[in-house]
Amino acid sequence: MMLQFYEPEQDYGTPAMAGGEPVSLSIDGESVTVPAGTSVLRAAAEAGVKVPRLCATDSLEPFGSCRVCLVEIDGVKGYPASCTTPVKPGMVVRTQTDRLAGLRRNVMELYISDHPLDCLTCPTNGDCELQDTAGEVGLREVRYGFAGANHLDAAKDTSNPYFTFDASKCIVCSRCVRACEETQGTFALTIQGRGFGSSVSAGQGEAFMDSECVSCGACVKACPTATLTENTIIEQGKPEHSVVTTCAYCGVGCAFRAELKGSTVVRMTPHKDGKANEGHACVKGRFAFGYASHKDRITRPMIRATIDEPWRTVSWEEAIAYTAARFREIQQQHGRNSIGAISSSRCTNEEVYLVQKLVRAGFGNNNIDTCARVCHSPTGYGLKTTLGESAGTQTFASVAHTDVALVMGSNPTEAHPVFGSRLKRRLRQGAKLIVIDPRGIELVDAPHIRADYHLAVNPGANVAVLNALAHVIVTEGLHDQAFIAERCDNSQFAHWLEFIRDPRHAPEALEQATGVPPQLLREAARLYATGGNAAIYYGLGVTEHSQGSTAVMAIANLAMLTGNVGREGVGVNPMRGQNNVQGSCDMGSFPHELPGYRHLSDAAARGLFEREWGVALDPDPGMRIPNMFDAAIDGEFRGLYCQGEDVAQSDPNTQHIQAALAALDCLVVQDIFLNETAKFAHVFLPGSSFLEKNGTFTNAERRISPVRRVMPPLAGKEDWEVTQDLANAMGCAMHYSHPSQIMDEIARLTPTFHGVSYARLDELGSIQWPCNEQAPDGTPTMHVDEFVRGKGFFALTEYVATEERANRRFPLLLTTGRILSQYNVGAQTRRTANSAWHPEDILEIHPFDAEERGVAEGDWLGIQSRVGNTVLRARISERVKPGVVYTTFHHPLSGANVITTDNSDWATNCPEYKVTAVQVSRVTEPSAWQARQQQFDRRQQQLLDTASQPVIEVP
Amino acid sequence: MARGQIDQLLKMAGHIALNLGAGHDAAAADRTAEHISRFWTPAMTRQLIAYWRGGGEVPSVVAAALASLENSQPEKR
Repeated sequence: MMLQFYEPEQDYGTPAMAGGEPVSLSIDGESVTVPAGTSVLRAAAEAGVKVPRLCATDSLEPFGSCRVCLVEIDGVKGYPASCTTPVKPGMVVRTQTDRLAGLRRNVMELYISDHPLDCLTCPTNGDCELQDTAGEVGLREVRYGFAGANHLDAAKDTSNPYFTFDASKCIVCSRCVRACEETQGTFALTIQGRGFGSSVSAGQGEAFMDSECVSCGACVKACPTATLTENTIIEQGKPEHSVVTTCAYCGVGCAFRAELKGSTVVRMTPHKDGKANEGHACVKGRFAFGYASHKDRITRPMIRATIDEPWRTVSWEEAIAYTAARFREIQQQHGRNSIGAISSSRCTNEEVYLVQKLVRAGFGNNNIDTCARVCHSPTGYGLKTTLGESAGTQTFASVAHTDVALVMGSNPTEAHPVFGSRLKRRLRQGAKLIVIDPRGIELVDAPHIRADYHLAVNPGANVAVLNALAHVIVTEGLHDQAFIAERCDNSQFAHWLEFIRDPRHAPEALEQATGVPPQLLREAARLYATGGNAAIYYGLGVTEHSQGSTAVMAIANLAMLTGNVGREGVGVNPMRGQNNVQGSCDMGSFPHELPGYRHLSDAAARGLFEREWGVALDPDPGMRIPNMFDAAIDGEFRGLYCQGEDVAQSDPNTQHIQAALAALDCLVVQDIFLNETAKFAHVFLPGSSFLEKNGTFTNAERRISPVRRVMPPLAGKEDWEVTQDLANAMGCAMHYSHPSQIMDEIARLTPTFHGVSYARLDELGSIQWPCNEQAPDGTPTMHVDEFVRGKGFFALTEYVATEERANRRFPLLLTTGRILSQYNVGAQTRRTANSAWHPEDILEIHPFDAEERGVAEGDWLGIQSRVGNTVLRARISERVKPGVVYTTFHHPLSGANVITTDNSDWATNCPEYKVTAVQVSRVTEPSAWQARQQQFDRRQQQLLDTASQPVIEVP
Repeated sequence: MARGQIDQLLKMAGHIALNLGAGHDAAAADRTAEHISRFWTPAMTRQLIAYWRGGGEVPSVVAAALASLENSQPEKR
């Protein structure tokens, strides 16, 4: 384990300048060479010379306000600030002279004349840049005394649950304001007033919680004093060591330093060297880690014969033996295919690999699937077909070279916030933005950001819009002929060209279907094709449709059509949702593919695994999750091992799922909480959070990053150990003593992973696959010289309207999405203070639709679809267009999935969550399902309460 | 087999055929058969073939695909 003693990461003062011509200068008599554009301050730091400073920090542009970092430069008058002075060839700099010392002491005197002198009891004692700088400049007295006007009585703002703003300690360096602007892009903070009256203000002089602040913590990290400090630091003191690990929330996969006292995490700070996030984070990863030690954690195995009985806490041995025996009994009675597993997109690569190995080599079938089924399985199908690999093509950092960003069916500022901040930074630099979304997401109109085009597509018409864009590009001769001729399958392109040229794909012909004004669509197409480097970022608003796979292929077609593949600043970027959903797919969690996306029919690939595992493998595809549920209701599928997934909450048509789960003879749930699915379980195997295990996650950039154990697993085992025990009990031998051995096996068997090992990960920090002999350091950008499949393939993408349409009975279309503070089913975030922001799911409804129904803000609304109904509170909003309503699904009792149907993508069965025909009306009580569910929840909680689970000590 | 499950298989097969070019392309039946072979369990395919052979109504492209699958699939499990 990489144990790092607690030390702040080195701060070089101003940002690094990559790629500039080398410039040599002299600093304190030593020659220093740095790229052009580097500040004198940073050049000194890189040479090991620390120039005292306060307002400068290397995550932010230089500001030059504190006047502490002054230097002397030959030939330059006065004492310039080294942070705002770029290096010049031959410059001669002195950083320490008597005159400079005097000036710096004078400046510090002024600061300290208006600062509390309670260092010894201050929460940042020993970790305060003001304290350090006072020491560095040799401050010995404050000649002004302390009786003058000051800000020592300024009130504290404790509104945010995670950090405190103590205005009495503020030195108005503006780092927080600049961090909120430059790093996060929210612009929630400002300096109000002038001169002595200047002070940091959130919003319009509001409390942080009432302002636009999104609690990303960038200001807290940037603050050089105790003004902005984490509450956990105030309560517990300074951490004593830190461990670099990877966030377990979304597919950005931010690198964090878990900062600890012993095995208690005091805070998570974003790791500057993390390539995905480069020192930034969001409210979830930064602050919402407390769920790992929440009192709801289940830490001892439990079993029960039926779901109406109380749980019985048992030993690991008994639980594993019981599970193994039940699964074998079921197979003996009902056939080899009567059991299966769902692997987790939040568990590590190594853990997922073992689950699919258990299924294939232990259960003897291929009934293994993962949550990617319900989110990005169309990405797998669509990108494999067109480009040859089921993954995004770029790094996140690539957006810094983008000239036109096309964001479709993705809401990055809510769902991939750290990437959203990168995108906003690039947009503020002048890149253009096209948003294709039924809803006016934040990116359409935010501080200093405005979409050049917002195509408010009707839910269900994505393929029509994409075809229309391609039609315009082709008929106006804007496609990149040379790229296509060289890189793509030309005969297929000719076939596709004939298809897309047809007038039925013109924006005018498709206007009724798309709901997008043709002129707007034409202009957007021209911008995408001719605006320079153009990159497409897309999410579940593309995939979770009956033509999700078709839409992904249409997106890949657009990128190939315009030559926007194979270099920085362009590409096709699926915004993978979960922390390890990419990894889960890579590791062979699909019923038709082995690890590395090799179809079961590939005899050579199958042979490799058969030889390694010592067992013949079933060559036929297994069941997808929806097939498992259909077969369960039919009585053919009877046993399920469900690791780290909450299908009862996250999958569509809840009543169908609940019926399927209730029909199982043996449902085994491995999780950290008693989730909705576990309420139907017969065996509960307590899981481990990301803080309690070693392994790797793979993010949306194909970046494999280390997960490092910082505390002992509360249940006594890491998740992979539980799967190993179950495998051994079922006669499928596994004898790993550390996850690195599992990764070594994966690397042996998977060409795209040949070069991956824990040693290499320690060396490089993270690795983007493919990593092998051809790419020993990994692959940031894919398809550089040729596509993985050789020539790019233009798939035909005929628009087929979904069967789910607004009609007289259900005249509105419901679409769904996510919010920043809660994460997916909310199992983690609802058990943290994040519920302060989003305590319930709300239905957004346009003012026209609301008025027609007599709905006012906050009214209870019954939402009815052809499969079910639920009740949510109303928010009147123009973010949605008339005819469209929107909600999130973070709270189980919202029942958002009681309404969603079993319509799904034709190729992958990814559910069509984004299009459900509904009617909405005012009601006065919860729905029948909600009332039943509350009773069911209460009953299951009672059955758990008798199980004698140990009480969790909350630090 | 439950009516509900057959309906589901029919719907899926029909959508596959539609999206892979039914009505536009003579090779649509082959592509539909290939897709089903790659992604469906043999049991699901057998169930749909049994339904069709038992006189159940299926779209013509799907029927052509099922005929081709019937010939290529060896007896399993």
